[in-house]
Amino acid sequence: MIDRNLLKNFDWSLLAVVLGLSLMGVMTIYSATRPVPGAEQSSFYLKQLFWLFLGILCLFLTIRTDYRWFSKFAYIFFAVGAIFLIVVLIAGRAGMGAQRWLSLGHISFQPSELFKIFFVLAVSKYLSGTEHRVRLGFRELFKIVLIFVIFPMVLILKQPDLGTAMLLLFIFFSMIIITGIKKKLLITAVIISIVSSLFVGNIVWTGLKDYQKQRLIAFIHPESDPQGTTYHINQSKITIGSGGVLGKGYLKGTQGPLRFLPERHTDFIFSVFAEEWGFTGSVLLFLLYLFIILRGFDTAKKARDIEGRYLALGVALMLSFYFIINVGMTLGIVPVVGVPLPFMSYGGTALLTNFLAVGILINVRMRRFLLFY
Amino acid sequence: MNYRRTEKPDIKKLWDDDVTKMQHMGNRKRSVVLITIIFIGFFAVYLQLINLMVIKHGALSQEAEQQYFRTVSLKPQRGLILDRAGREMAVNVETSSLYAVPSRIRDIKKFSSCIAPFINVSAEKLSSRLSALKEKNFMWLARKMDEETSRKIAAFKNKQKNNKENLQEMDVVTETKRYYPKGQLAAHVIGYTDIDNKGLEGIESRYDRYVKGEGKKIMLGRDARGVNLANNVEESVPGNTLLLTIDEGLQYIVEREIENAMTRWNAEGAVAIMMNPMTGEILAMANRPTYDLNSPAEADVSERRNRAITDFYEPGSTFKTILASAAIEEKTVTPDKKFDCSKGYIYAGGGKSIRDVHRNGVLTFKECVQKSSNVCLVQVGMLTGEEKYYKYIKKFGFGEKTGIDLYGEVSGLLRAPGAWSGRSLASMSIGQEIGVTPLQILRAYSAIANGGKLMRPYVVSEIISPSGSIVEKISPKVERQVVSEETARIMRDILKTVVEEGGTAQKASIKGNLVAGKTGTAQMIDPKTGKYSSTDYASSFIGFVPADNPKIGLIVVVYKPRGEKYGGVVAAPVFKNIIEHSLAYLDIPMERDENYVILVSKSR
Repeated sequence: MIDRNLLKNFDWSLLAVVLGLSLMGVMTIYSATRPVPGAEQSSFYLKQLFWLFLGILCLFLTIRTDYRWFSKFAYIFFAVGAIFLIVVLIAGRAGMGAQRWLSLGHISFQPSELFKIFFVLAVSKYLSGTEHRVRLGFRELFKIVLIFVIFPMVLILKQPDLGTAMLLLFIFFSMIIITGIKKKLLITAVIISIVSSLFVGNIVWTGLKDYQKQRLIAFIHPESDPQGTTYHINQSKITIGSGGVLGKGYLKGTQGPLRFLPERHTDFIFSVFAEEWGFTGSVLLFLLYLFIILRGFDTAKKARDIEGRYLALGVALMLSFYFIINVGMTLGIVPVVGVPLPFMSYGGTALLTNFLAVGILINVRMRRFLLFY
Repeated sequence: MNYRRTEKPDIKKLWDDDVTKMQHMGNRKRSVVLITIIFIGFFAVYLQLINLMVIKHGALSQEAEQQYFRTVSLKPQRGLILDRAGREMAVNVETSSLYAVPSRIRDIKKFSSCIAPFINVSAEKLSSRLSALKEKNFMWLARKMDEETSRKIAAFKNKQKNNKENLQEMDVVTETKRYYPKGQLAAHVIGYTDIDNKGLEGIESRYDRYVKGEGKKIMLGRDARGVNLANNVEESVPGNTLLLTIDEGLQYIVEREIENAMTRWNAEGAVAIMMNPMTGEILAMANRPTYDLNSPAEADVSERRNRAITDFYEPGSTFKTILASAAIEEKTVTPDKKFDCSKGYIYAGGGKSIRDVHRNGVLTFKECVQKSSNVCLVQVGMLTGEEKYYKYIKKFGFGEKTGIDLYGEVSGLLRAPGAWSGRSLASMSIGQEIGVTPLQILRAYSAIANGGKLMRPYVVSEIISPSGSIVEKISPKVERQVVSEETARIMRDILKTVVEEGGTAQKASIKGNLVAGKTGTAQMIDPKTGKYSSTDYASSFIGFVPADNPKIGLIVVVYKPRGEKYGGVVAAPVFKNIIEHSLAYLDIPMERDENYVILVSKSR
């Protein structure tokens, strides 16, 4: 069992906030998938509830073990995750124009989501190991970029899952910026990445699916395509805007259930929430996310060791990016890249992964005073 | 377990090792930058949230509503129109209408080519119309389709149900359509509606606000895939029912008889109005040519004109009754006053004279009217004088609208004495130089029939709410007393004498009932020359029956009959047929056993 002293340092408030958000998510999914008259309520919210219990279970299971144990096997996790990414490309189930899911009986499983946490584990481990070398050199940077970023990114892009791939890149660069990269190298890296992005961008562009291209075009020229992609953005804006200051009230929203809003229970769950709970509810929601993120950075600051620090940092960055990009997307200030809102969007694997991530934060925070184990 | 906080870890301690410390400092600076960036991201998202939810809230919610509420104003069930006995003259039938949601059609060309064959338009035309409205959420494809088309479309939609390219961008709503079970019957009184059930003519138009009911907005709550939620947010209230003064049976008799007259005389048109002279209730009003109310669009404008109130004509001899009433009321003459008509003509002023059809000797006033002597009536006109005659013409309701509850009525043509020429008084004494509508002259005769009261004619007697309560009951309205009861009685007697020995309207005699009436034969003005036509006449007959206790007032006007022109020949038999059948229909008992003849006077 968990040591009583550990329990004393258990971050109950973080867990409470996360649980609250997740339940809010289940409620919003229920509302968003309300049936039209004559149809039946879809079971999305029940499935989400199931994954929520699974997430809580995994959270408690993992925090029993010191995060350093996970760190020790980080590369193995990473490798396993990578294998899953390959498997999904071969044997995965396609849906909505992408091949992202593995079917295990009744349950669908999205390896790229789970991979995020292995990715954070591995990158943290690596960076904490390089700590004594002051800052990263060019060769090393090249090596780790190839292993940690290019390799999984290519696999994920192949699905294709542009959003997840991009976020991995963001997290990685943010982490190496903080943990140690020579200023000169940083500048060089930025220049190289700009130049190469033009080159790579071209490759990526041709490799993109049509709908992804449309999304990007639509973001730059919203008026170009009122029925297609801009439709998504516009619908989301309309949905959010129609909520007003106080919102239409829970289960009173129209745009989501009537399917004017695409991806209403997944990527655009925030729009449905905003329509029903209004500006007031949305600001409260923002504050909850802000709390989680600040708690993450605080945990990083207070961590007992470098490994813990980087882990917490990675998790905090991951959650921040996901939140900002998702909400920014629904508000129409970020291109639609298909990134779920942590804890709230429908998606079992994502929810589980986020609980594992929060588990890491709790784990690190809980053991911040422990020196020997 | 050991929880020594103070003990420093050897390798991974944070503060001791210079290298680590240095790195830590660097991290710290960069951490602050990164966290700041994240905060900026948060802030940007927050600002946009304010922008959308507070600043642009109004505009965006309007947009949301527009998407959701594809509001279609469907006219509610119109009220029924019933004849005086409650027989249905206008009812509603349910039909299907097809609409599209152009904004949701992805492939207009394909959509058009699929649908066009059903609704009888070319695919090109449909596609261009859809393209023009492609921002819109609503467009009718076909209104009030016949049953076969609706069935075909329903079958087609069903077939396409499982198809991905389904036709959810269109749907069918039920609309009510006006149906007139009697077709042509009383077409000009009842009128018709447009495709949106708005009354356009007749009662349908005049009483539109009563029969149309509470406007219903169908909130075609539709989700984005076009699944129809059809929430009727507003309940519709059906319109009020109208009870007419028209009697279907009498109307039928009248229509049949003027139809026969049209054929018999190869006439251009005909009008007949039947009125209760005591109340002003219109019992029947018929026009020829006519049209089918169920397909008004196929009718010519002239066929839809209600000549009974929209066309005026020169009344001719029938107008002599007005002068006679005025003269008696003013005591200018007495029924037995003698007039010398032996010359056979009389100077009328303006270098012209007016002749009688037959030369008469010395006649009493009564006989003058009986024989319709122009020479006599011109003398009476001179005796009465311009001002007095004009006053009575006005009092009898000429030169003004009768106020019947139908649109399109004209007030006729009547000039004030100031505008009269030297010949005018003589002309007007015999019913020329004046334009009257058939309804106006019938109303004037009704005043004589009912004891001198000018009534306001009307066709709707009751407005009944959907729940059955009476919204409005229209009661007879006396406009004014035109002449005294005594004068009216004298006039009735005079008109009766016309049918006795010396009368000329044998063709209008009616079995068993005493009828009072008068013929008129007036030359029509040729619109090309502006002068009297030598071939075109308006032959008319006005009368009421039974003469002493009138139940029915009737006017028959036949325009441009061919072969005959005299009212006594053309219109009187029509009058007779209508009256005979009507009396039988109404079960009015005979007053006398022998044949009784109505007055008829031939003019010219």
